[in-house]
Amino acid sequence: MRSLRREPALLVGLLAVAGLVLAFIVYPQVQVVLTPGGGGYVDFFEHGNWQRPLQNSLILTALSTTTAVALGFVYAYAMVYSDMPWKPFFRLVGILPLLSPPFVVAAAYILLFGPRGIVTYGVFGQSPNILGLYGIWGVQTIAFFPFAYQLIADVLSRSDARMEQAARNLGAGAWDVFRSVTLPLTRPGLGAAILTTAIYVLEDFGNPALIGGVFTVLPTQAYGLISGFGDISGASAVSSILLALALGLYVAKIRLDGGRSYVTVSGRASSMPRPPVPRLVTIFSFVACLSLAGLIFLVYGTLIASAVTAHFPTNLTPTSEYFEYLGAHSLSLQNTLVYGLSAASVSALLAVFAGFLVQRGSWRGRRALDFLLIMPAAIPGLFFGLGYVVSFNKPWLDWLDRGVLIIIALTFWNIPVGYQATVAGLRQIDRSIDEAATSLGASSLRGFRDVIVPMLGGSLRVGFVTTFVRAVTTLSLLIFLFTPQTTVATITIFQLVNDFNWGGAAAFTVIDVTMAIIVLVTLAFIGGRRGLALGAARA
Amino acid sequence: MNRRTLLKLAGVSVVAEGLAIACGGAAAPSPSPAAATAAAAAKPTGRISVYSALNESTNNEFVKAFKTAYPGIEVDLLPLAAAGELQTRIKAEKDSPKADIFVGGDRSFHDGLGKDGLLEKYTSPNASAISDAAKDPTGSWTGWYFGIFGFVANTDRLNKEIGGKTPKTWDDLLDPAWKGKLVMPDPVKTGGGYIFLATQVFRFGKDEAKALDYMKKLHPQIAQYVGTAPQGIQLVSQGQFVGGPNWSHDILTEKAKNPGIALAVPENTGYEVGAVSIVKGRPAANLPAAKAFVDWILTKEAGELNVKLSNRVSVRKDVAPAPGAPTLEQVKLVNYEPDFANANKDRLIKAWQAAVGL
Repeated sequence: MRSLRREPALLVGLLAVAGLVLAFIVYPQVQVVLTPGGGGYVDFFEHGNWQRPLQNSLILTALSTTTAVALGFVYAYAMVYSDMPWKPFFRLVGILPLLSPPFVVAAAYILLFGPRGIVTYGVFGQSPNILGLYGIWGVQTIAFFPFAYQLIADVLSRSDARMEQAARNLGAGAWDVFRSVTLPLTRPGLGAAILTTAIYVLEDFGNPALIGGVFTVLPTQAYGLISGFGDISGASAVSSILLALALGLYVAKIRLDGGRSYVTVSGRASSMPRPPVPRLVTIFSFVACLSLAGLIFLVYGTLIASAVTAHFPTNLTPTSEYFEYLGAHSLSLQNTLVYGLSAASVSALLAVFAGFLVQRGSWRGRRALDFLLIMPAAIPGLFFGLGYVVSFNKPWLDWLDRGVLIIIALTFWNIPVGYQATVAGLRQIDRSIDEAATSLGASSLRGFRDVIVPMLGGSLRVGFVTTFVRAVTTLSLLIFLFTPQTTVATITIFQLVNDFNWGGAAAFTVIDVTMAIIVLVTLAFIGGRRGLALGAARA
Repeated sequence: MNRRTLLKLAGVSVVAEGLAIACGGAAAPSPSPAAATAAAAAKPTGRISVYSALNESTNNEFVKAFKTAYPGIEVDLLPLAAAGELQTRIKAEKDSPKADIFVGGDRSFHDGLGKDGLLEKYTSPNASAISDAAKDPTGSWTGWYFGIFGFVANTDRLNKEIGGKTPKTWDDLLDPAWKGKLVMPDPVKTGGGYIFLATQVFRFGKDEAKALDYMKKLHPQIAQYVGTAPQGIQLVSQGQFVGGPNWSHDILTEKAKNPGIALAVPENTGYEVGAVSIVKGRPAANLPAAKAFVDWILTKEAGELNVKLSNRVSVRKDVAPAPGAPTLEQVKLVNYEPDFANANKDRLIKAWQAAVGL
């Protein structure tokens, strides 16, 4: 990237991104952080209840991040390296856990694995106490491995087969190649995966609220203060602790991966296949992925069963009554689709452009923008939404349709994963490639558009899919933002759950998730066709 | 379900919406009987926005009934069965308020807004029938229903494991038979759980040492403290646990779907006062319509509808309770002091945590 002074268009782009980040990430959060006031913080830290939740949050983050990233790595490796069959199916399974609206999926786990669970008690006659640390740990591992899987797979698929072939030719065995070539080259992806997963685990509210029992973590404590006691001041203070922890994780990550180079995509074309992985690894990959798929399908199967029977599992009379809510609430499904698609498109493009500016630029303040683009992951949705209401619910903004505000909120709240994927991807692509374009006279922006973007198709997809899926399943972000006209599917699900209409909630979830899957599969199909053209540019 | 049925369903709803709009549009300009016209002329008109913490099924019927009583008033209803979130939202929206009415949820949520000066003071003529304990002396909010804390039991497991006896007093829960079989809302994270803790304090005449000693003895009986109150009922309904303290109206709602559970109301129990209030700072033209909504909520008709739909208990003596629901005369309520409970929340929760070792 040339200096900003020589490329005014680039400078304008940078200022635009910085302006958006300031307006829609920094400003609203500053409002939340300032809510308690000095006295409020002193009072909260002296008398409030935060030590235990803080300790619990740290323990849980360490445990769940480790297992979720490990699972994500195995899954990504199996998908990219092994020759196992059914890969398109497993690609879908790999994002299914992201499609779990709060309340409903956690409840399905209890139905299956609770003290009188269908599997635990019904099949094995055991009464485990899954509510608590171990329960959340297990559920979060499944819920968050898709983030790690997506980020690691994106990096793995761009790694250069020639290095591995070279290692093999020099006599290294399969394990040596993995340990000394493959694993080190995934470090940008692994770093991004650990940071992202850890931050999302830290921020997770839905699973600890329903599986956690008395094991209180910071987000459930913050929500409890608002929901049970209307204590905004205390809740905002808890939210600030979360931000501080996210900053700590971020600094740790920067320290860890230092200034090493992970370039594997250079200007020289390569069409060399990867060295084959041992057959045993492929078999193991297949079995591991299949078991995980089985577990995930058991959960969704429970939801489907709940949706089509009178009172699952005590009364199994088939019924279609729960699908009758669809008619009355079609507006919320439609809104969810429109907001999700709009936010996902904007968020993915913005993430790639911002990633390009930060990773390729050499201007001052890059680190700050880098952190600010990751920070939203650490903000519980409730507080992200709260910041928006406090900041943007002003008389002079009343003409603004709340639908637009919801799309903006979804865009910026979900930007971290796509952004992280882009930065990790760019670290693998040799600067000489975009420099070739600029020395031939193209502007940096043109080089970005015609050279970088085509090579970052994977990162763009990661950003789009993550944002869309989270937009379809988030409740807390929208609690303060929705209006009667801009209500969404998760609000409907929440209302049904609180009305003790478990069947209706399950039916609505099934439709919501099915709708999301249809959209993703359709887009993958369209993208797959064009992918042929994009693929040629890839090394 | 295939896509075609889905599309058909979507189509039906669009048609239904179209019809509703057509009917609404037609009804307004062509008022029916002359008597109704005369009455309607005196009645306020306009459009109000209602933030409702009531249950989904209650909301729909309420709006319908209100519009029958006041055909000139359109209602935009924002449903969210979480009063704490609605209270927070109203606070956060104070620069440009979006709600005319806040309905449902314990009085403490309304009281907080009133103390922040965010509520319009209004004493409805219909409030005269309501006891002083259930309404704000300054007129910021008015109570219109009681939610009573009760006990839910899974009948099958109760008969097999406990000998079929539901608790008569909260002390009955200390019976060794209940060990590890109860589930209750977490006092730290849920309003209901904290009301249970505060109830014990009031039950022992604010002798906190005795109350904490009780909670400490109760601790081994509790298999789980859950993060939301409805989840506690659901887990008992599924048979995951045998019983637990919870909201009696919610227990009855679940019982309608699963007859395998039972409700009991131990004596000296706690309760909430569900309130309604008018939010300050809205266009002056909305105020008469907002007042009309409060007046209507306090009528016998609305009270009966709420009892029927949500199983809660009306503050009006002339409204009979729902079948199976406890009446205020039958249950023995503890002398609950909401102001004391609110002011000592952090301290009591910490003391409880220390007592049970959590």
